[in-house]
Amino acid sequence: MDTSTVKIILQILHYLFFGYAFAAITSYIILSIISGKETIEYLKKNSFVNYKDILSSTMSPSITIIAPAYNESLNVVENVRSLLSNHYVNYNVIIINDGSTDNSLEKLIEAYDLEKVDFIINEKIKTQPLRAGVFKSKNPAFEKLMIVDKENGGKADTLNMGLNISKSKYVACIDVDCLLLEDALQKMIKPFLEETDAKVIATGGVIRIANSCIIRGGKLIDVNLPKKLLVQSQILEYLRAFLLGRMAWSRLNGLLVISGAFGIFDKETAIAVGGYDTKTVGEDMEIIVRMRRYMEEKNEKYKVSYIPDPLCWTEAPDNYKIFISQRNRWTRGTIETLKKHRKIGFNRNYGSFGMLSYPYWLIFERLAPIIEVIGIVYFAILIILKEVRWEYALSFLLLAYIFSVLFSIIALYSEELTFHQYKKKGTGYKLVLLTALEPFVLHPFILYAAIKGNYDYYFNKKKKWGVMQRKGLAST
Amino acid sequence: MATYQYFIDYFNEAPSLIKLAWVTICILFTAIVILTIYLKLIRTALRKKNTESAKFKAEYEATLIEYLYSGSENGDINDLQIATIEKLKTSVHIKSKRKIIISILYNLMNEVSGEMSDSIKTLYFKTGLYNYALSRLENKNWYIIAKGIGELTRFKIEEAHDLVVPFIKHPRHEVRKETQLYMVNMFRFNGLTFLNDLKEPLSEWAQVQLLETLQKFDDQQICDIKPWLKSTNNSVVLFALKLAKIYNQFETKDTLMELLSHPIKEIRVKVIRVLTNLYGIEAKEMLKANFNELSLEEQISFFGLLEKLVVPSDEPFIEKHLFHKNFEIQLLALKILKSINLDKFMGLSKSPKNKSNKKILKFVTNI
Repeated sequence: MDTSTVKIILQILHYLFFGYAFAAITSYIILSIISGKETIEYLKKNSFVNYKDILSSTMSPSITIIAPAYNESLNVVENVRSLLSNHYVNYNVIIINDGSTDNSLEKLIEAYDLEKVDFIINEKIKTQPLRAGVFKSKNPAFEKLMIVDKENGGKADTLNMGLNISKSKYVACIDVDCLLLEDALQKMIKPFLEETDAKVIATGGVIRIANSCIIRGGKLIDVNLPKKLLVQSQILEYLRAFLLGRMAWSRLNGLLVISGAFGIFDKETAIAVGGYDTKTVGEDMEIIVRMRRYMEEKNEKYKVSYIPDPLCWTEAPDNYKIFISQRNRWTRGTIETLKKHRKIGFNRNYGSFGMLSYPYWLIFERLAPIIEVIGIVYFAILIILKEVRWEYALSFLLLAYIFSVLFSIIALYSEELTFHQYKKKGTGYKLVLLTALEPFVLHPFILYAAIKGNYDYYFNKKKKWGVMQRKGLAST
Repeated sequence: MATYQYFIDYFNEAPSLIKLAWVTICILFTAIVILTIYLKLIRTALRKKNTESAKFKAEYEATLIEYLYSGSENGDINDLQIATIEKLKTSVHIKSKRKIIISILYNLMNEVSGEMSDSIKTLYFKTGLYNYALSRLENKNWYIIAKGIGELTRFKIEEAHDLVVPFIKHPRHEVRKETQLYMVNMFRFNGLTFLNDLKEPLSEWAQVQLLETLQKFDDQQICDIKPWLKSTNNSVVLFALKLAKIYNQFETKDTLMELLSHPIKEIRVKVIRVLTNLYGIEAKEMLKANFNELSLEEQISFFGLLEKLVVPSDEPFIEKHLFHKNFEIQLLALKILKSINLDKFMGLSKSPKNKSNKKILKFVTNI
């Protein structure tokens, strides 16, 4: 290749990277504007709602909380107590012990005075068999509780067992170590009951980070900003993702993911699509995509809703090793889901789902880390070739950085004007400072984890979930 | 000065794209600074507001409780109460204070009854809170109107009836729902007349709230629900079915029987469930005869009905479905057979058809 050809190629690459960055930034701006509108609308709609009637009504629809547990003996008793303290009347809790090798089951039997009961499972979805069986409490105070002990089959298999057992119309799938606020169920069930135009197939909620928060008796007493920069950065990241991202996708009816930590599903639809996929590590995203696909193919009007209230609090990774492992898994889950449902992408038959949501996830979520790495390599080559025009490079790097800081500040602003969870004096300064630091503290590791996730997906097929070590919310 | 000039010169000589980038950087940076300052102000204001709210709440709670307990038996207002009303009159002009007063009054309203409840209503009128609620009804924002109606409902203000009722046809379903709740709260079953010509769907959320409101009243004398069962609005029919079930409307059986052939499957399924509740023996033979034409959901509901209303002569029908491909029907059929002919049921366990049947049989045997 002669010099002019190289220059033309470089020129094309320049424009491609510039175009991608411009499109990404524009999409973020548009999404945040839509989010703002949707949040205001949500707050207006809920400013006069009386949740008390729904709370105490036996006419309200039944909900089953399904919480898979694997080797959670450290906090399982306390966590179950938290799940049982919900104020909604018509609900029950199924804890499914997924072949734990620790003494989780023994602890539960002792704490809740459990006895084995005869139970037959309508196996609508194939799962691993029962191990010790099904247990219920002899104490009427825990009549809402059921413990199921089964052979190990992973989170998706365990949730499927819950879908088989539940007799309720709606199921709330939740991580057992999550802390649910007492009014979480009635707020999450509202979209299902309120919508008359379309069938609501799932509702997702905001996940908040509970590290350093004070929790007593399964209740959130005090919200604190954690000391570790990594956890603080994740708080900012979650605020951005949930308040500025998902809220907009909810408005566009384009949500592709509901966090596995907490979501409510229409059980009939979840079972009709065959439940959770046991072969993916991104089962939370995959089931939503499959449910949407099912509804689109049936040509039925449907909606995936989203609630911005801080209803579910969970423990975030507080060291880089676990953090990278978690994000690696999220990346593999995204790749698996998008690949499995590639038929939807850019397919007019699937409406905005195929023409907007899927392409967005593919281009700005799935491909973003790869494009970023290619960009870094390309920049390094330009440096070696002494082809960098530094005045351009520096001004655009600074522009990107300033934009990311501003975007985070808008997320903080949105949080303050709506739910205002970090009330303590001095926290505001820390959070603003964090907006400047986060691109250096968190982003490089997210990028590394995403690239590793890509590598593991293609070259390390044996890699599955990875271990998420938790210290437990009860002890915070 | 020289550095400053250098930057000016650099900017003037820079290509347009770089100029654009720097201008954008400056704009974004200014936005960051402004938003950071504003964030600080908001946080400070919110903290101050929370502290003040807590202070006012404590103060007004004490005042209002004193007002309630200083009342005389004949309902006349004494000097202390007049002083309280005057004090509150000045406070209700401030939105934040008004909000606190309303919330305290509402909490008190839930805890007291009789004279004290009337006393709260008097206070509500005399302090001008009633006028504020009415002014909300004239607001152009739908959510303010909904809030106003909600407040009038909570304080049981029948006097606002004429002003609230027109909102029953409001384009926003939230406002319509608040109006419906107002009417039912004020006039119980008579408040349900809006169902007669309701064109829009009645959401499940609204239905639950209406039913809960109705159940709060001691007087459970229900009106004629047959016209609603015959409504062309499917959501009204579903709501009427709930009323029929809760209030055991045996006299609606004939209408319910007609609904068994309703074009909407959900309605037909719910009708079977209501008939189960009302011991609708008339439906049994009819459904049994058409069993194969029913949808799976209807068949399952029918077996639920049969479980409750089975007689020995149903045994041949039950036997035909002992190994039905649907789990729920199979389970119910076995349970029913066990209840009417234990010997025959026990005989089944000797020749189960497959592993799954064996499991169900074992389960039913043990229960």
